[in-house]
Amino acid sequence: MTIAENLFENLRLELRRGCLTLAVLAQLRQERYGYTLRKALADDGLAIDESTLYPLLRRLETQGLLASEWREEEKRNKRFYRLTPDGEQMLTKLLGEWNAINASVRATLNANPSETSNTSL
Amino acid sequence: MELLDRYLQAVRKHLPWQRQDDIIAELRANLESQLEEKEGDLGRPLTQVEMEDWLKKLGSPLHMAAHYRPQQYLIGPTIFPIYLNVLKIALTWATVIYCITRAVTLFTQTPHGIDLMEILAQAPGFLFTVVAWVTLVFAVLEYLIAHQMVQIPALCPPSGAWSPVGLPPFDPTANGGVKPKSFASALAEIIFGFFWLVWLLLIPSHPYLLLGPGAHYVTALPYKLAPIWVPVFWCLVGCGVLQLAWNLVELARQNWQRPHPAMRLVYQSVPFVPIILLLTARDHALVLLKNQAADQVRLATSLDAVNKMANMSVASVCAVLVVVLAVGIVQWILEIYRKRAATSQ
Repeated sequence: MTIAENLFENLRLELRRGCLTLAVLAQLRQERYGYTLRKALADDGLAIDESTLYPLLRRLETQGLLASEWREEEKRNKRFYRLTPDGEQMLTKLLGEWNAINASVRATLNANPSETSNTSL
Repeated sequence: MELLDRYLQAVRKHLPWQRQDDIIAELRANLESQLEEKEGDLGRPLTQVEMEDWLKKLGSPLHMAAHYRPQQYLIGPTIFPIYLNVLKIALTWATVIYCITRAVTLFTQTPHGIDLMEILAQAPGFLFTVVAWVTLVFAVLEYLIAHQMVQIPALCPPSGAWSPVGLPPFDPTANGGVKPKSFASALAEIIFGFFWLVWLLLIPSHPYLLLGPGAHYVTALPYKLAPIWVPVFWCLVGCGVLQLAWNLVELARQNWQRPHPAMRLVYQSVPFVPIILLLTARDHALVLLKNQAADQVRLATSLDAVNKMANMSVASVCAVLVVVLAVGIVQWILEIYRKRAATSQ
């Protein structure tokens, strides 16, 4: 990997990190277990590694944004996650922030169209 | 499936022990669902190679387990800048103290007690110990703060606690900048330099200029300065003349505002000549008895003590000068580096 590719990869991961939390919280407005959540995210174009997603669910639960429950489904015990009321509030706030950032970046790009001729949001 | 069991067993080893069962059960359920779906799509069980490929994509067991651990730092970003500052201060003082104590040891111990190479070889070990202790203290602090066992407002002040009023006053000489010297101060330097030289030249004939009323008592003592002080004295006079002449030349060339940094280093290096003369004096004798034959037996011990103290003082001065010179050289190099970096941009 060249230096430029490495830099891009680091910046891409940095950019994705916050977005992933937002996407996970948004998906868990509906109850899901780890694997179906991963599939749902991938179907929406946000593929995420198992080693990132499953620990992230644990962290969000520790932070009180998610609640989980072990339940049997298709003869297998699975841990189902859903948003807590705190998680819903947090999601609303984060979405507001996300929309504001998105609008700002869009406005900046529109203000300098020559610099971003190949870029679109 | 056997390979998946082995994988999960390997992951378990690296998980926090309190949550091992829970995490492995969840991970197993998720991975088995994934495997089941893969096999359902293929209409057959995965081959050994396919299974290996799939597990490979999950990442090594250590990598997988590491994500379940809370993010831990030896020294976290909150206290890291403070750690760096403390480390700089500790290393500076450790170097100064090491230089002084070792220089004193070097010139007061028996000739074969300790040598210069040994002192230099021991320095990295000593400094490494200082770094290790500072790091250890901060690692413990980080642990205590992270686990909310202590709250140290000085280390992690709330964001509103900072005030710009407490900022140090503006210093134009900071960041390598040199404050221009005024004409008055350049002229004052020359005048004082001249008087200092006159004062120095008068000291041998009028010792009270240096010692005040104490000169009377000193002349009554049974000790006298060793002959090595004569070249030392003329060296000091030479330094004074050199500095005075240089300041005059700079004034005449109208170049007094920004003296060349190299000249500062020369001024800082010149005092080493008399210091080295003193440190290499024969038998380390800086003071002698006035009446050697009569007082040798009676005053030999106290003479030895006086010489030891005098040598120790000279060695301490030498160590301080070494540190000052080293700092000067580092500053000069940094200045050159900054100028080059600025011009290359």
